[in-house]
Amino acid sequence: MEQDKEFNPKIVAFLCNWCTYTGADLAGVSRLKSSPCVRIIRVMCSGRVDPTFIIKAFKQGADGVFIGGCHIGDCHYSEGNYKTLRRVEFMKTFLEEFGINPKRLRLEWISASEGDKYAATTLEFETEIRELGPLHLVEA
Amino acid sequence: MKPYTIQLMICAGTGCVSNQSFEIKEVLEKEIKKHNLQNEAMVVTTGCNGFCGAGPIMVVQPDGIFYQYLKVTDIPYLVEEHLVKGRPVKKFMYVPPKEEIPIPRMNKIPFFSGQTLVALRNRGMIDPEFIEDYIARGGYRALAKVLTTMSPDEVLKEIKKSGLRGRGGGGFPTGVKWETCKKIPGDRKFVICNADEGDPGAFMDRSIIEGDPHSVIEGMIIGAYAIENVREGYIYVRMEYPLAIKRFNIAVQQAKDNGLLGDNIFDTNFCFDIKVRRGAGAFVCGESTALMASIMGNPGEPRAKYIHTVEKGLYDCPTCLNNVETWANIPQIVLKGADWFTGIGTGDVTHDPWGGSKGTKVFSLAGKVNNTGLVEVPMGITLREIVFNVGGGIRDGKRFKAVQTGGPSGGFIPESLVDLPVDYDELTKVGSMMGSGGMVVLDENNCMVDMAKFFLRFTQDESCGKCVPCREGTKRMYDILYRITKGEGKEEDLDLLEELSNMIVESSLCALGGSAPNPVLTSLKYFREEYLTHVRDKKCPAKVCRELLTFSIDPEKCLENGHGCGVCEKNCPDGAIYGEKKNVHFIDSMKCGKCGVCFDVCKFGAITVE
Amino acid sequence: MINVNIDGKEIQIVEETTIVRAAESAGIWVPTLCYSELFEPYGVCRICSVEVIRGKRSRIVTACNYPLRDNGTKILTNSPRIQTIRKMIMELLLSRWPNVQIIKDIAEAVGVKEPRIKCLERDEDPNACILCGNCVNICKDVVKANVLSFENRGIKREISLPFDEKSDECIVCGACAHVCPTGHIKIKTLGYERGALQDWYLGPKTAINIPTLQAVPRVPIINEEACIKMQTGGCGICSTYCEPEAINYDAKDEEVEIEVGQILLTTGYQTIDLKQMPQYGYGRLDNVYSSLEFEHMLNSTGPTGGTILCKDGSVPRAVGIIHCIGSRDENFHKYCSRVCCMYALKFAHLVKDRTPAEVYQFYIDMRAFGKGYEEFYKRLLDEGVNMIRGKVAEISEGYLTNGEKPFLMVKCEDTLIGKFREIPVDMVILCPAIEPQFDASNIKKIFSISQSPDKFFLERHPKLDPVSTMTDGVFIAGCAQGPKDIPDSVAQASAAAARILSLISLGEVAVDPIKAEVADEYCSGCRICNSLCPYTAISFEEEKKVSFINDMLCKGCGTCVSACPSSAITGKGFTDKQILAELEGILSV
Repeated sequence: MEQDKEFNPKIVAFLCNWCTYTGADLAGVSRLKSSPCVRIIRVMCSGRVDPTFIIKAFKQGADGVFIGGCHIGDCHYSEGNYKTLRRVEFMKTFLEEFGINPKRLRLEWISASEGDKYAATTLEFETEIRELGPLHLVEA
Repeated sequence: MKPYTIQLMICAGTGCVSNQSFEIKEVLEKEIKKHNLQNEAMVVTTGCNGFCGAGPIMVVQPDGIFYQYLKVTDIPYLVEEHLVKGRPVKKFMYVPPKEEIPIPRMNKIPFFSGQTLVALRNRGMIDPEFIEDYIARGGYRALAKVLTTMSPDEVLKEIKKSGLRGRGGGGFPTGVKWETCKKIPGDRKFVICNADEGDPGAFMDRSIIEGDPHSVIEGMIIGAYAIENVREGYIYVRMEYPLAIKRFNIAVQQAKDNGLLGDNIFDTNFCFDIKVRRGAGAFVCGESTALMASIMGNPGEPRAKYIHTVEKGLYDCPTCLNNVETWANIPQIVLKGADWFTGIGTGDVTHDPWGGSKGTKVFSLAGKVNNTGLVEVPMGITLREIVFNVGGGIRDGKRFKAVQTGGPSGGFIPESLVDLPVDYDELTKVGSMMGSGGMVVLDENNCMVDMAKFFLRFTQDESCGKCVPCREGTKRMYDILYRITKGEGKEEDLDLLEELSNMIVESSLCALGGSAPNPVLTSLKYFREEYLTHVRDKKCPAKVCRELLTFSIDPEKCLENGHGCGVCEKNCPDGAIYGEKKNVHFIDSMKCGKCGVCFDVCKFGAITVE
Repeated sequence: MINVNIDGKEIQIVEETTIVRAAESAGIWVPTLCYSELFEPYGVCRICSVEVIRGKRSRIVTACNYPLRDNGTKILTNSPRIQTIRKMIMELLLSRWPNVQIIKDIAEAVGVKEPRIKCLERDEDPNACILCGNCVNICKDVVKANVLSFENRGIKREISLPFDEKSDECIVCGACAHVCPTGHIKIKTLGYERGALQDWYLGPKTAINIPTLQAVPRVPIINEEACIKMQTGGCGICSTYCEPEAINYDAKDEEVEIEVGQILLTTGYQTIDLKQMPQYGYGRLDNVYSSLEFEHMLNSTGPTGGTILCKDGSVPRAVGIIHCIGSRDENFHKYCSRVCCMYALKFAHLVKDRTPAEVYQFYIDMRAFGKGYEEFYKRLLDEGVNMIRGKVAEISEGYLTNGEKPFLMVKCEDTLIGKFREIPVDMVILCPAIEPQFDASNIKKIFSISQSPDKFFLERHPKLDPVSTMTDGVFIAGCAQGPKDIPDSVAQASAAAARILSLISLGEVAVDPIKAEVADEYCSGCRICNSLCPYTAISFEEEKKVSFINDMLCKGCGTCVSACPSSAITGKGFTDKQILAELEGILSV
């Protein structure tokens, strides 16, 4: 019923512990307005994000999945983000086959100091998801 | 070797080569083959014969028939006549000036008969590119004698006794130099052969190298043995002598191949090697310290010589440097003994090494004499003998005026001193020097101021510019001389010249500056009148200094002999000559550029010069 | 020892002494031009010619390089013969270079007034090169760089660089300019290149120096860039003067490996290169100083002994102090450098104290934020310092028509009165922005820490953890973290030290428990994970045919966990189960 009233997208964010998670923290500390729809799951490295997690997130009602990692070359674990990049590219084609708009999956490099970028990107992503509308994968 | 009955010794010195002696050789060989004489006649290219003025030269041995001024086109006829028919060809033989009967044999020609050959003993007799030829003429026997029968001290003693003095110009006793070098402690020493012959008009060293390079090498090996602790030698050859460099390189390689250079020469413990270095192209590199700097790869500039090079020379090691001719004398002295050598020359050297001049000296005789070329004469011979006997007198019957010896470092010797015996000390006494042996004969048509200017122009140009007196002084002297020859000289200039000269002589860094003013000093001393005529009367008695001449036309001769032909007018580049055809012509002295073209073109002798 | 006689004076000298030195010890003057004690005598000017008499032989030699060897040698330094030579040489030199002072001096001393000779190469330049060769010799013998040499010969001789181009071998030591007797060689600063003699005119000028009198320990140091010995192997003069032989040129910077448990980074800051802002004229106009240079001038052990002086030695009539050069500036750094306001006020106070000069402060905002700072600001206002709120547009040179000494014109906008102003001063002090060290990003990479957008090092948390970094055991303090003044730096450094000490006193380090683990029974032995691990923590056990993770090497990134096709690897703390549960949780609302 509530959903009918207003669409509040559910965005799952997998954030790398060292960069984006800290960046998100910085955004908060800096009192920057970021998207309230984002539900953060902390992982040690964006490379930890298993494709299963993405599928599961969509399946359980997420309208968008956001993955945040360190900039290329800046990974705390040297090269985890390279692996993420490859997986996400693959997942996008995979999602399309499932009938899910690949725009609902987004990968961003946000460093620990880029609180402002975190705030801006999540807000932007939220607007995008709002435009795409609810995914309606969950049986009511 | 096959026994040939006839040998054709064709001169391959630089002078003759430039007159096509190699082409002549080719044609000769072709002709010989044509007449099927290849088993009897052999063509040999030799080093410089010496009589360069008459080149290309060929001597037919064993008779010693001397042919001169050969041309490629003459060869078929010559081969046919001389080799086939056995009739020596008179028209290619030497005819003494003012005479008509030719002299067929070389040793009868005064140019050759007046000479005593020591350093040049192999000239024209061997092919310099074959070590066998040199050995056949007794080469390397002196070295064998030294290495197998004499101790280094004995060799040194012999050289000291001979009284040999440096032939490069300074006349420093060679034995004394060797002894000093030997006494300086050091286990690395050098010997150097100075073949950077740069005096204008001098080519003695070049001829020795090109004609007999092994004699120099043998001399150096003997020197290295006598001085001890010498394992390296350098030959520094002037860059402008490509043929000499080539022949030295061949000779050194042949000596190495025959075990005469390298390790354990003649199976003794004695080791010695020679490197040939090409000069850096500057006159001053003939100065010993500059030469060593150049070998080491530094700019060829002299340094102050208060510490001698025998003490601290090449790479700061004791170094013995001698001239090409000095080295070439060594084997003969060793072979024939010091007493033979002291038998030639002047003075007494038994107690004082500076007491006299022994042996012979090679001069390059040039200028206004009939026979120009390379001559080797005993020390003490008078200038008169050299000029009038060996040199065959003054060309075109002109009057003898002076002799310039020692190149740009030497001086002028006037006619009044023509009976001066030629040795180191006599020449120095009259203000000139032996130098490396250039001898230029001047006649009445030579202007002394102009000659002095010529030599100063050379020295100021070749001055390295390191020290002030030489760099600034010689240029100022040249400027003054230039002004005098342009008619802008003043009488005070002569005193200033003298003052400058004395200062440069006394205070220059090296011998180049120290001797550069000699031509000016001697010409001022013996020909001051001529200078005065230049500055006072603005005239040049020898009619050389163009700016001081006035050209005019003798109206009578012009009209009567030439009928006002107008050739002079046509040829005058300044448009200074006026006159109607068939009328007398005139020269506008204001416009006249004094080029002298009118004088040359006038067939009637109507142009007068004053 | 040998006895020689110089101009009638009997003296005793050591063998091999040159005549110049012998004459000097006898108190006799011999004119010299190309002679210098710094290098081997060159002996080319010949002006030092003297007459040496040994027995009956008399000889003209040059005094500079003639070694005396024989007892009883007689030397005449001023005989008529010598006088003629000297006069003639000086006539030659004077005719070519009539306006060169050293030649004029020696000519006068030897009695030459007007040369009789006309020289075609006459050069009127008072700073002309007189070809003495000093520069070539010092470069060859002392500096051993062999950059300068002679070119051409005879009268055309000149001194040149190889191929007439600036040589890479030149270490810009300035020795040639130092020995040039006519001032023909000048040093121009083209930029901070190898060994460049830096235009730091308020600092020590020699390569070996004691930086300040307060230096601890007070020993000289050698500036490797400027030291000739270290650059080319030449010179080495300082070691010949050092009696205890304490100078060691071989003591080079070396890399030492030290094992430590924790690291505190205090790499500090640098000031912005003021030459980027040509409108302020730094390095171009005289009397425009950076604040550090001015601080050096204020120092009582500094070059002026603490007196405030203009470059021409006069006391300034007015001094301008300009804040925020490069900081709070959209074109350079947006941040505030925090320390400038207060030190600028201190400068103003000291200038007022030491000189009668007017002081102008050009500021954007006055930030007197610390304890007692505001009070100091108030005091300055009372002292009569002119405060002008506005940014300076340009500093240019101004001239007075009456020929008085030029001044500096400061053009600015006074935002308080809303007018454009031009204020003449004699000295300007620029307060340059504090910026991170130029190589801070290298340090960042080495320690795997982060930099904030302004390139200062980033702390783990701005409020909760201001001294540690993302990397365990690496701490930061001071201006490396951001611009701050001394009290703040001390406070932060003390905090960092306390953090470090607390870990040391603990005696052991707690390792993050987040690790990956292989369940042997599920592992198929595919080895996909082996190559993925960035720390090579995963190896393959041949016996069991399974992969094995080394706990000590594993950092727990989880890359292998998500890559494992048979889900045999679990990441402790971040197991699939946990994450999925988390997912479920957050999505359930």
